[in-house]
Amino acid sequence: MTAATTLPQFPWLSLLIGLPLAGALLCLLHRRSRQECRWLALATTLATLAICIGLFVACRHGDGPWLLREDAAWIPRFGIRYTLGLDGLSLLLTLLTAGLHVVAVLLAWPEQRRLPQFLALLLVLESGLMGVFLAVDLVLFYLFWEVMLLPMLFLIGIWGGENRRRAAVRFFLYTLAGSLAMLVAMIALYLLHGAQSGSYSFALADLLQTRLPLTQEYLLFGGFMLAFAIKAPLVPFHTWQPDALSEAPANGAVDVTGLLLKTGIYGMIRFAFPLFPNATRDALPLLAALALVGLFHAAWSAYRQDDVKRILAYSSISHLGLVLLGLAAWNTTAWQGSVLLMVTHGIVTGALFAVVAMLRSRTGTRNLNELGGLWGAAPQLSACFLFFALASLGLPGLANFAGEILVLLGTFRSQPLWALLALPGLVFTAAYLLRLVQGTLWGPAPAARAAIPDLTVREWLVLLPLIVLTVWLGLAPAPLLAPLAAVGGLP
Amino acid sequence: MNQTLLFLIPLLPLACAVANMLFGMRLPRLFAETLAVCGVAASFLLTVLFWSYADGDGTRAVLGTWLAAGEATIPFALQFDALSAPMTLMVTGVATLIHLYAVGYMHEEEDYARFFGLLNLFVFAMLAIVLADNLLVLFLGWEGVGLCSYGLIGFWYQKTGNARAGTKAFLVTRVGDVFLAAALLWLFALTGTLSIGAINAQAAGFAPAVLTGLTVLLLLGACGKSAQLPLMTWLADAMAGPTPVSALIHAATMVTAGVYLLCRLFPLVSLSPAGMAAIAVVGAVTALYAATCALAQREIKRVLAYSTMSQVGYMFLAVGAGSVAGAMAHLLTHAFFKAALFMAAGCIIHLAGDENDILRMGGLARRGPRQLFLVFLAGALCLAGAPLTGGFFSKDAILLAAYTQGTPLFLLLWGAGLLTALLTALYTFRLVYLVFAGEPRGYSHLHDLPQLMRWPLWPLALLGLLGGLLNLPALVGGGEWLRHRLGALAGREIAATHGTEWALAGLATGLVLLGWGAARWRYARFRGEWDNPGSRFLLHGWGADAAVDLLVVRPFTAIAGLCALGIDRALVDATLDGLARQTTACGERLRRLTSGHVSTYLAGFIWGFLIILGWFLLALVR
Repeated sequence: MTAATTLPQFPWLSLLIGLPLAGALLCLLHRRSRQECRWLALATTLATLAICIGLFVACRHGDGPWLLREDAAWIPRFGIRYTLGLDGLSLLLTLLTAGLHVVAVLLAWPEQRRLPQFLALLLVLESGLMGVFLAVDLVLFYLFWEVMLLPMLFLIGIWGGENRRRAAVRFFLYTLAGSLAMLVAMIALYLLHGAQSGSYSFALADLLQTRLPLTQEYLLFGGFMLAFAIKAPLVPFHTWQPDALSEAPANGAVDVTGLLLKTGIYGMIRFAFPLFPNATRDALPLLAALALVGLFHAAWSAYRQDDVKRILAYSSISHLGLVLLGLAAWNTTAWQGSVLLMVTHGIVTGALFAVVAMLRSRTGTRNLNELGGLWGAAPQLSACFLFFALASLGLPGLANFAGEILVLLGTFRSQPLWALLALPGLVFTAAYLLRLVQGTLWGPAPAARAAIPDLTVREWLVLLPLIVLTVWLGLAPAPLLAPLAAVGGLP
Repeated sequence: MNQTLLFLIPLLPLACAVANMLFGMRLPRLFAETLAVCGVAASFLLTVLFWSYADGDGTRAVLGTWLAAGEATIPFALQFDALSAPMTLMVTGVATLIHLYAVGYMHEEEDYARFFGLLNLFVFAMLAIVLADNLLVLFLGWEGVGLCSYGLIGFWYQKTGNARAGTKAFLVTRVGDVFLAAALLWLFALTGTLSIGAINAQAAGFAPAVLTGLTVLLLLGACGKSAQLPLMTWLADAMAGPTPVSALIHAATMVTAGVYLLCRLFPLVSLSPAGMAAIAVVGAVTALYAATCALAQREIKRVLAYSTMSQVGYMFLAVGAGSVAGAMAHLLTHAFFKAALFMAAGCIIHLAGDENDILRMGGLARRGPRQLFLVFLAGALCLAGAPLTGGFFSKDAILLAAYTQGTPLFLLLWGAGLLTALLTALYTFRLVYLVFAGEPRGYSHLHDLPQLMRWPLWPLALLGLLGGLLNLPALVGGGEWLRHRLGALAGREIAATHGTEWALAGLATGLVLLGWGAARWRYARFRGEWDNPGSRFLLHGWGADAAVDLLVVRPFTAIAGLCALGIDRALVDATLDGLARQTTACGERLRRLTSGHVSTYLAGFIWGFLIILGWFLLALVR
């Protein structure tokens, strides 16, 4: 049974991109009424999520590499087409994007400053992310890649914390540098392919046919990888990320920031690896080395931070080290584990950032030295915090463990040494996360702190689905992994 | 009956734990407590009910798939067999009694739902270890008990020290978990499965070096949870938790998980002589080390904690000597009498008004409740290995197993075991005399004991005293029930002449008497405690904490500082800032270039020409 027979003919993928964009426009038009904007944004994200879930249910058993595909001529002169494609990988990532945006809108509910604009930017970001995860024409992909950059820049630069300028500028420069390298490599590839085959095209499917000399392949691979490594972020291109994550506005934007990181890994899987198979093969040990260095460097750095959000930011880098290691191991188990870990990490870290936002709004601080004893004051909030911290440190039965253990099992089968080197990460992760928990939940409460209200209904609405997902993916991730089996171009 | 029903044994405590954690504080206190006790008691009854499922090769039950990706397919499956069934019975039985005791012990605690939720969750996780059919389910339980231990040690979190002790326990045991995880990955790479049965069946095909490597990894994994050298530093601090927790987690069950793991994988472990020797050495050395530490402790629970470490060392020695039956027999009897001792210690601390220091106790035999003294004495006799108690038979069997190995190494370990037996008697009776003999030294009046803190001690003390019947040797007309029950899983056959057995038993009895005599001579009348460098050295566990701090914690923190401040701030950020400044400066210089000076243009032309020329030359050469 193919996807087309169960699903009515409709440009569903374009709808995924267009719907948030339309929502953003409506928000800007209705900016007089904050309440209307909130409900509008919520309705938009919920509708997008509903479509994603519908697509998952209808398409996950489709055969062939693409579950859904849309294709139209766009700029024929340069061989640029409007091509969107949905496969198992993009299915998971669009689901994650849609889900986290619902969370983000709910978190943004109490935002005071320029709420309509804030929501509109969130929705534009969602649109850009959807585009990135769906585009299979390189120019289209690049377009969405840049579209994604701008709302993030404004979200950090306008609504961010005290050092927002610095963080925004740094974020912008870093990602721009990466994007330019990718653009150059993209055009070079386009020209080389055209010279080789006689037909100039930016379509991924066409470019995959290109045969390049090894040196050229290395150079172009490097160009693509620079962009993706900065976004992921890979050590040593990572220092923009703790700044960006800690300065990103707590009310909603920050867990979405986590999604940006996934685009880096996604770009590698979708473009860099399949387009340059030989260079990839040779670069795998280097990637693994960078992954391991990142895993430990970030864990160590996290151990010495006092700002809760910076700890979580470094923890993201550390976890992505493991994701990358699974990709570098180049076998099915590890690779599927990596994708699973990428999704579960998005959920768990997003939830942690959400809890920290709730914490911050109550205590007015994110500094570990000024927190403590929270369990006695707000047990529900504390329990949620502990739950997600445990999920993040890889407690079996919760979401992250499923991905981590698959990565390690797979990696050990092909590269035992890499897996063994990664294993002490278990202790490192526990060390900084337990320090975080110790500093916030346990110990005596600061004397000066006023009474803290516990979770509200709105906050429970945010956290409860994430808790359910964390348990569900920890115990039965198989349905989520099933659509990945057919994704082309990988081990 | 459907075998999937076996899953009820671990899942009932889990369900009660979740219910208590979610709704416990909204329920009447009595309801929450009843829920917690009933969940565990129901598991116990189910184990009795399903007992026959363990006959023969046992029963395997599958609930569903957990993970499936590529070549890895791992189900939720459990194995109810001759090894896991007695262990399950012990865990659920002891846990039920301790839950009852805890209801009394925690009757003034406000945050009871968290306590009982975690306690029930612990029982679930422990049962997952015991019943696991594959190593990943075992690992789930393994990490789960670690989590509950963390949460319960730091239960009174307002005191930072308690929470820190929990964190320490979690981290140290997680170091062990790294090795267990490595073994798990390696086994998966070798066999393509994590099923314990399949791994044991295929183990004979592994190369000797691989077997030794795997055994050492498993041993280090077991060391973490079982507080054996070198990963033992957390157990004494873990006594910061409420006493029922110490009794259940840090005496009867979790700390024996390592022993159980090695027994579970005994068919693999036993194939490596070097690995077996390593297990025995770790066990004997830890037993001796912990016994010396116990001699000098001043807090009643710390004495018991070190004694636990020491007794678990005996169990490791038994596994290393090839006797699974011996290890399991000691594991079971130890669980009974040590749980009784801990709960009695909780009563003592409560009676004396939260006094921990045995130097400030005394006189409880006459002043305190009679039955408390009797129970504690029963436990102490078992611990010391007084003749005919459970501890006597189980410890004797272990020493016999070590002795009959016959190699010089095992004779040495046997000697260490004997020395440990002497020290055990010494510190046990020191404890008894300091707490019960003479006149009160610290407390003024005795507090009341709730009924629920009294009677759960009796069954455990009796089980400890009669524990010898579990595996009574043929020497005294016993049938070695446990060994026959374990069947093929029981390990090596211990062959010794009756003369040897009598001689060893006599030797052990003599040592107990010697230890008792020495303790009586020194502590029957309180004359103050030694305070010299030697006793302080033992009091601080041979300075292990200071060594770990110096060798591990400080370097770790220093490197963390280097990464966070040195590399990220000073190196990467500064390089980037430098680059930015350079770019600005370049712009500056470029602006100066267009200054109209012909000489500048000329120099630029020449440099450019030279570079291009050089490039051409290079290209030609290649």
